[in-house]
Amino acid sequence: MKALSIEMKKCKRSGVFPIMFAVGIFGALYVIANFAVRKDTLLALPLAPMDVLLTQLYGVIALISLFGIITATCLMYQIEHSDNAMKRMYMLPIRITDIFSSKLLILVMLLLISFTIQYSALGFVGNLYLPENSFELWTLIRYGLYTFVMSLPVLLFMIFISSRISNIWITLGVGIIGFFSGMATATSDIVVFLINPFTLIMYPAMSNNATVKFSALIIAVVEIVVFLVVGYIFTKKARYE
Amino acid sequence: MNTMIQTKNLTKRYKDFIAVDDLSLHVQEGSIYGFLGPNGAGKSTTMKMLLGLTKPSTGSFVINGKMFPEERVAILKEIGSLIEAPAFYGNLTGRENLDIIRHILELPQSAVDEALEIVGLSEFGNRLAKKYSLGMKQRLGLASALIGKPPILILDEPTNGLDPAGMHEMRNLVKSLPQMYNCTVLISSHLLSEIELIADDIGILNHGVMLYEGSLHDLRQTAIQKGYEANNLEDMFLSMIEQDNAARKKRAVI
Repeated sequence: MKALSIEMKKCKRSGVFPIMFAVGIFGALYVIANFAVRKDTLLALPLAPMDVLLTQLYGVIALISLFGIITATCLMYQIEHSDNAMKRMYMLPIRITDIFSSKLLILVMLLLISFTIQYSALGFVGNLYLPENSFELWTLIRYGLYTFVMSLPVLLFMIFISSRISNIWITLGVGIIGFFSGMATATSDIVVFLINPFTLIMYPAMSNNATVKFSALIIAVVEIVVFLVVGYIFTKKARYE
Repeated sequence: MNTMIQTKNLTKRYKDFIAVDDLSLHVQEGSIYGFLGPNGAGKSTTMKMLLGLTKPSTGSFVINGKMFPEERVAILKEIGSLIEAPAFYGNLTGRENLDIIRHILELPQSAVDEALEIVGLSEFGNRLAKKYSLGMKQRLGLASALIGKPPILILDEPTNGLDPAGMHEMRNLVKSLPQMYNCTVLISSHLLSEIELIADDIGILNHGVMLYEGSLHDLRQTAIQKGYEANNLEDMFLSMIEQDNAARKKRAVI
């Protein structure tokens, strides 16, 4: 808890909190504006109303979230790398792995908050515009949790890269290359591409039904565990040279 | 008097370059130990090893009876340090920077104001650290080393970036620390003239090798014996370094 509260203090004026809140708010505004303007076109699609609500809007939500994740993870460690702040941490009686896990926890919580804002907007729109009795709250929550878990591998990958590379432009470059690789491979049927965490986050947007794809979910969970273990080991072994 | 910091055959190798070679130094409790050497002599590398910033290739060290790395956290609780350029969070104010350290060291709130007061940064405490001048950043670095009055201070060229008045102030502060807080100070510099004003003991390092370790008084005696002026140790220091460099060149040619 001590490490978590210290990391929260460090985030002040870093831009991490405003970015992740902006992700939630922009996503929510997009959902509301899009459905308000295109509701007739969207509901005319040959899909179940809940599938329309969730799958037709998730693509842009995923993009906004991905931009937020890339930027926030870069900034999260930029405060440590610039002005050698991390060096000071290495000279204090604190476990460096606690810094990594606390930063990760903060970002996961912020992503969860932004997802909650976005899915609240989806719930609002669903209640307002979907045909009577077709809105299913449980389907919305299940899909929200599914897409949240699918977003975590990219967050873990980016925080790991950000922790290892002190030059923010390289970290940002990795994020942008990842973003394009995800865009290029998300529509493919080749399962191997799902190893790429940037493809995983886009994957739910490529389907026309809001069911949970367990094979993709398993890949996401495995990647979460792998990135967690790798991040922890590298952080534990690292020294400030 | 106890030995507060003791290294035993401490060595740091980077591929085929030896930065610190078989170093054994002894810092006595309550003393100011001046760690001298020209640029690149291995002073900062030694200090980094003592703080766990870099891993020794061979050798070991004990700080206040505690072994590294087994008791890393316990050792770091007792050390305040300033290594090379000051390290801080540019997005936070000076006060907020110190508050983070206070939180880690579990010190009372008053420790922050006290540290700011000691280094003369009280009126700039609420300014963002990234907007500090070089001298103010150096003072903030020193404040983060002094916060909580640690029993051991490791300071690597703390007068870097300070104006003459600031240097004088810093020297007086360092000199008063053992009496004020009963602490032990290991301070590095490449200027003997600076160190001889404050240190009790000195260690002279060149190319990672300890050329001399002992009290300033003994060094003065040696200087007199060798025909140097006792009130100008700088000449003797430079001559020691030159002799060592010449011997190295000779060995390299052979």
